[in-house]
Amino acid sequence: MTETEFLLWVRGPAFQVASIIFVLGVVVRILGTLALGRKADLAEARGSAVAGGMRTIAKRSFPDTGTWKRSTFTLAAGYVFHIGLFITILLFAPHILLFDEVFGVSWPALPTPVVDATAVVTIIALMAILVHRLKDPVLRFLSRFQDYLVWFVTILPLVTGYMAFHRIGLPPPSLIAIHILSVELLMVVFPFTKLIHAFTLFMARYYNGAIAGYKGVKS
Amino acid sequence: MTAITNDTEFRRQLEGLDYARQRAAARFIEHVLDLCDDERIGRVAKVAANPNASADELATALHSARAAAIDSHARCGADSDWKEQAGYFVARAATAAVSPEGQVAAGPAWQAAMSSRMAQTSMAIETPEDTAGQERLAQYRILSEFLNA
Amino acid sequence: MSGATLGRGINAFKEVIDAPTAAFFNSCVHCGMCAESCLFFTETRDPKYTPVHKLEPLRKTWWQEYTFLGRISKALGLSKPVTDEELTQWETLVYDSCTLCGRCSMVCPVGNDLTYMIRNMREGMAASGHAPEGLIGATKRAVTIGSPMGVKLPALQAQIRHTEEEIGMTIPVDVEGADYLCTLSSMEIMNFPEFIGAIAKIFKQAGVSWTLSSEAFEATNSGIQIGVSEIAAELVERIVTVAEKLKVKAVISPECGHAYMAIRWEGPNLIGRPYSFKVVHILELLDDLRKQGRLKTSGKETQRLTYHDPCQIARRGGVVEQPRNLLKMVAENFVEMPDTGTMNWCCGAGGGVSAIERADEVKMKAFKRKKAQFDAIQPDALVSACANCRIQLEEGLEENYMDIPVLSLTETIAEHLVAEPQSEARQT
Repeated sequence: MTETEFLLWVRGPAFQVASIIFVLGVVVRILGTLALGRKADLAEARGSAVAGGMRTIAKRSFPDTGTWKRSTFTLAAGYVFHIGLFITILLFAPHILLFDEVFGVSWPALPTPVVDATAVVTIIALMAILVHRLKDPVLRFLSRFQDYLVWFVTILPLVTGYMAFHRIGLPPPSLIAIHILSVELLMVVFPFTKLIHAFTLFMARYYNGAIAGYKGVKS
Repeated sequence: MTAITNDTEFRRQLEGLDYARQRAAARFIEHVLDLCDDERIGRVAKVAANPNASADELATALHSARAAAIDSHARCGADSDWKEQAGYFVARAATAAVSPEGQVAAGPAWQAAMSSRMAQTSMAIETPEDTAGQERLAQYRILSEFLNA
Repeated sequence: MSGATLGRGINAFKEVIDAPTAAFFNSCVHCGMCAESCLFFTETRDPKYTPVHKLEPLRKTWWQEYTFLGRISKALGLSKPVTDEELTQWETLVYDSCTLCGRCSMVCPVGNDLTYMIRNMREGMAASGHAPEGLIGATKRAVTIGSPMGVKLPALQAQIRHTEEEIGMTIPVDVEGADYLCTLSSMEIMNFPEFIGAIAKIFKQAGVSWTLSSEAFEATNSGIQIGVSEIAAELVERIVTVAEKLKVKAVISPECGHAYMAIRWEGPNLIGRPYSFKVVHILELLDDLRKQGRLKTSGKETQRLTYHDPCQIARRGGVVEQPRNLLKMVAENFVEMPDTGTMNWCCGAGGGVSAIERADEVKMKAFKRKKAQFDAIQPDALVSACANCRIQLEEGLEENYMDIPVLSLTETIAEHLVAEPQSEARQT
């Protein structure tokens, strides 16, 4: 397969298959979760479950001081790489062009040097997170193959994207193809791993807040 | 002085004593010592009865009494043994008797008296006798003797 | 528990997996933050106490039953179902080192209510015969005798008689038409019977119409702690039957954490129907009386006091401000611990842990978290509103050579009531 054929395949059939798996996988997981249902609460309510649920969706992103002290690295590194991913994926001009092509929506981009620097910071944060996962006793104890697989498929697009942008090592079409392929790998792995948390965390936080809010507790 | 015939009078007399003599009035504990297996309590009662006990002796006695109470309390979810609980209440009485000033809201002697009666109640739960009532009368007598001494 | 089998256990696991549970398991990213929120981990540094790890058998069951990849893996034999050996291993994690305190549920960044899941997981543990001995005994006694500690009616009656003598008032029992039915925990009846006198005095002064019941006096619910909903429901039903028979407006839950959770929040869901009466925690009632000006107290404690929030009452129960309002009424030197209110730390003994003898050692290790809180503020005395917390705190303080007393909030309020002109107390 030539370089051009590879790129066309990656942007064509591979992208379609990956998208279908991604969308179908996410939808099936979410619907499958909701379908398990939840019993109505027959106790007398002290507060609003809905209000509690909404509050926790927002509030859980802002931990209390005590928690910050106890889990400083996890929270700080977590914030850095999540915000980094947000910026590099959604605020990068070439990506916004792609979204425009696929969905017909577009929005302002951040200056490319900023995104570039963010990519570097994000990669460093993810490396630090891997070291932490390997060294921290609790994380070493908890972590399974999936945790390392997910780490890999998350950092790969960042690294290959950086290489593609800076034209490192291979001709640009190949770099782009590899980058897109790495994203497709992420998409395919996404619904079957903890990456699904990107969607389900809203449900989890909601249920948490609803259960607590019903009792008049702000969680 | 008038004989003590009821709890109102009993409590009033106890509250009239100054702090050190209140502890001495914790002879109530000695009266129920045989309900308790823990030999630490006997020693605590002696410290409590000594109006010249030093702060250190009281602190050590308090620690012993608390430990005895912890060791003899009814464990959550465990089968109840009211005879053993009697020992727990005696330890509680002893704890009250050697507690520092101001720590026992009800007053150390009154608390010791009540816990001692509770020890009798506890012991008698399996039997129909009104031993707690008898304990109350015994305490009136003990206090009267103490005040007249 | 008769008929316990692995199959029944796994079925119970499947039954408790609902939408929230699935959302939680989907969302866990293995960040490890729940470990730092759990006092059993923080004081032992043993990773096996990580809350989400306690749920592993339940998570595996969810994955194998309710996810595409999981179902395929199980069908191909690549993923084995949960085994008896695993559940034996998990028994000490799910029971001995978890008080259902709820702190992990407050901290998880993706919002997982791990406590909810551990409570539900116990259903499968019990159904498969993997509940601890101490809890099994307590539950059997609760069902057959009416109290997990074997406290029978004559014993309660003896305590009532004693109390009546001590305070010079009659304790109402089986009064039809009273406004409030008060329940008591066996721990209170056995270890802190002063509670009965305290509420009698307060209710007399405040003019509250109340009663105890000779048929259903037990507030605690072993069924909740062991995780057998049928038994938990039966125990709740006893109180409901009496409450309806006596036609009371409300049932009072006493100074016991899990009793409140059982009757107030789980109860109607266990028996499958809403109550026709209200349920209040004693602290809620006392605070209402305070707001209405019906509590007349005098004098204030001058010693430096702090309040320990029983987990099931505050974080899991919603009664947070009331004890503080009440305490400020009778204390002039009240200080909060660092991490307070709904973020306070568990005493280490709830959820059945104090009934499990083999958990004594880890329970005392867990107490060090509380000790650290006390060291930070150096109180003269502690106040709480749960008999089980009180015993655990006393034991922990004693073991750590800290000679500060632990007080009951209700009893402290009672001690400060303005003395009423009393009719002559009992004559000899």
